[in-house]
Amino acid sequence: MELKPPIVIASGIGGMGEYLKLIEPKFIGAYTLKTITFKPKKGNPPPRLIATENYLINSIGLENPGVENFIEQLKSGQYDELFERVKIIFSFAGDNFEEYEQVAEKMAPFQNKFIAFECNLSCPNVHFNPLSDLTTLKRLLSSLRRKLDIFLIAKLGIEGAFVESIAKLVELCGWDGVTLINTIRALHVDGERIIKGGVSGPILKPIALRAVHEVRSKTKLYIIASGGIASEKDAEDFFKVGANAVSVGTILYKDPSIVERIAKNFS
Amino acid sequence: MENFSLTRDELIQLTSDSFLITFNEDLNFEPTQFIMIETPTSIVRKPFGLGRWYGKLAIGVQVIGPGTKYIIEQRYLKAHGPCGKGFTPPSGKGAVIATPACLAIVFDMHRRFLCDVFIGSLEKLKIEVSFKTVLGDEEFVALLKSLKAYDWFFVVGSDQMEKVSYNLLKDKGQVFVSLNEYMACGVGACRGCAIETKHGLKHLCVDGPALRGEEVWN
Ligand SMILES: Cc1cc2nc3c(=O)[nH]c(=O)nc-3n(C[C@H](O)[C@H](O)[C@H](O)COP(=O)(O)OP(=O)(O)OC[C@H]3O[C@@H](n4cnc5c(N)ncnc54)[C@H](O)[C@@H]3O)c2cc1C
Ligand SMILES: Cc1cc2nc3c(=O)[nH]c(=O)nc-3n(C[C@H](O)[C@H](O)[C@H](O)COP(=O)(O)O)c2cc1C
Ligand code: FES
Repeated sequence: MELKPPIVIASGIGGMGEYLKLIEPKFIGAYTLKTITFKPKKGNPPPRLIATENYLINSIGLENPGVENFIEQLKSGQYDELFERVKIIFSFAGDNFEEYEQVAEKMAPFQNKFIAFECNLSCPNVHFNPLSDLTTLKRLLSSLRRKLDIFLIAKLGIEGAFVESIAKLVELCGWDGVTLINTIRALHVDGERIIKGGVSGPILKPIALRAVHEVRSKTKLYIIASGGIASEKDAEDFFKVGANAVSVGTILYKDPSIVERIAKNFS
Repeated sequence: MENFSLTRDELIQLTSDSFLITFNEDLNFEPTQFIMIETPTSIVRKPFGLGRWYGKLAIGVQVIGPGTKYIIEQRYLKAHGPCGKGFTPPSGKGAVIATPACLAIVFDMHRRFLCDVFIGSLEKLKIEVSFKTVLGDEEFVALLKSLKAYDWFFVVGSDQMEKVSYNLLKDKGQVFVSLNEYMACGVGACRGCAIETKHGLKHLCVDGPALRGEEVWN
């Protein structure tokens, strides 16, 4: 996979393409869609967000229409304009082993529309954590690889085993890339309210940098760095430690023009 | 929808904590649409309702934390918008009920819809306005109870004030409220501003912020 520029819009941050209202497609290498699960998900009750100057905690809970409705939307032409404007990465997940397989099976006939599939193995807002049991994970990775004939990316977090050992497994199972990292479980106290969710934003940068560095030293996988990238310098740092592309996430909510600035820096 | 910068023209103090800011630039918008303003105090932009003050583009700001404090101190602001769905009132006579920080929004609605406007404030306004203004919670409740012969009401302020107003007005006409939920993107991408309504999940930044009160409360 070659992304020009090597900039990806992070899954969930850019929804289903809405940020193309504010960013020129030529500055985006690939746009990752919000994670689609097997069953439709309403997501978590509000409040779903709380922000400070250097982090955001979200408990969206993977709100999405489910794979069957998504396929109906695809067939109806709802996303045709989006596909014409940018390269799209499909992101998917399930609430258990079988659901990951079912989404892959249902989406296999449509894979040519996408430049890659990203398998979200690390959402902190759902109960199922596929990274906690390496034997099952290996079985899942192998099964999904057999079902899909496309550039396959595993989105890994740092909660579970060491990210580099999981990445080695991803490579062993014939996958092509990893996105490192996802949000991390976190909690915010706001007066009497406690908000639990996944933390993202600049606060993640040193953790994500370490993850990219470790995985680069142990694998040849294509690495999309994700976590706290908020400036041209941040992007440079991630490329220095071995990223092939950078994913722009939470910073979009502060300043969408950052994508253009990072893109210009790398052209 | 676009990214733009705004240059402050006037900063008008309305109460001890509420301000009206007019801008040199103009923007086409529909009533209740809003912009997302960048502040250094938050990693997400913050929503502010669009309005006008004697023809000029304006927003009202109630200072409640570091972001709103920053906004009233700046000459230039970065923002995107207009966000949200515009509000079109039903036919008939309407009344808009608002807090001082929403003065620009309701000034614009008054000119567009020729509706009556009532301001509920905790303290006396520092400027003269031609709208009826009531002071304090008791007077506010008395005002709502006294309103008659309207086909629709639009309430904009805090969620609590909107709920109280809805309960007092729901049998007198159709009640619309402009709801507040935490927002990160303002464009329908993050799914952060979802609320449960009688008609399922709605995202206030694209389906709102104005909804019928009956969709949200019994
Ligand atoms: C659609 C909409 C329109 C609004 N229009 C106006 C307006 O015209 N004038 C006005 O004074 N206020 C308006 N608000 C509220 C305004 O956005 C918040 O008061 C402001 O973001 C507070 O920022 P702060 O840094 O001062 O406070 P903080 O200390 O950061 O937060 C205090 C409280 O403000 C609210 N808030 C903070 N950040 C956000 C956010 N990103 N999204 C939504 N709420 C937030 C939360 O309730 C929070 O508990 C509107 C809110 C919404 C949802
Ligand atoms: C509001 C929100 C929603 C998210 N939704 C998803 C999602 O659906 N799927 C996913 O793989 N990651 C999701 N993420 C994680 C981001 O894709 C990204 O990996 C993470 O935010 C770290 O990068 P950042 O610090 O640049 O934001 C979400 C993050 C946020 C803040
Ligand atoms: S604020 Fe992001 S979807 Fe509404």
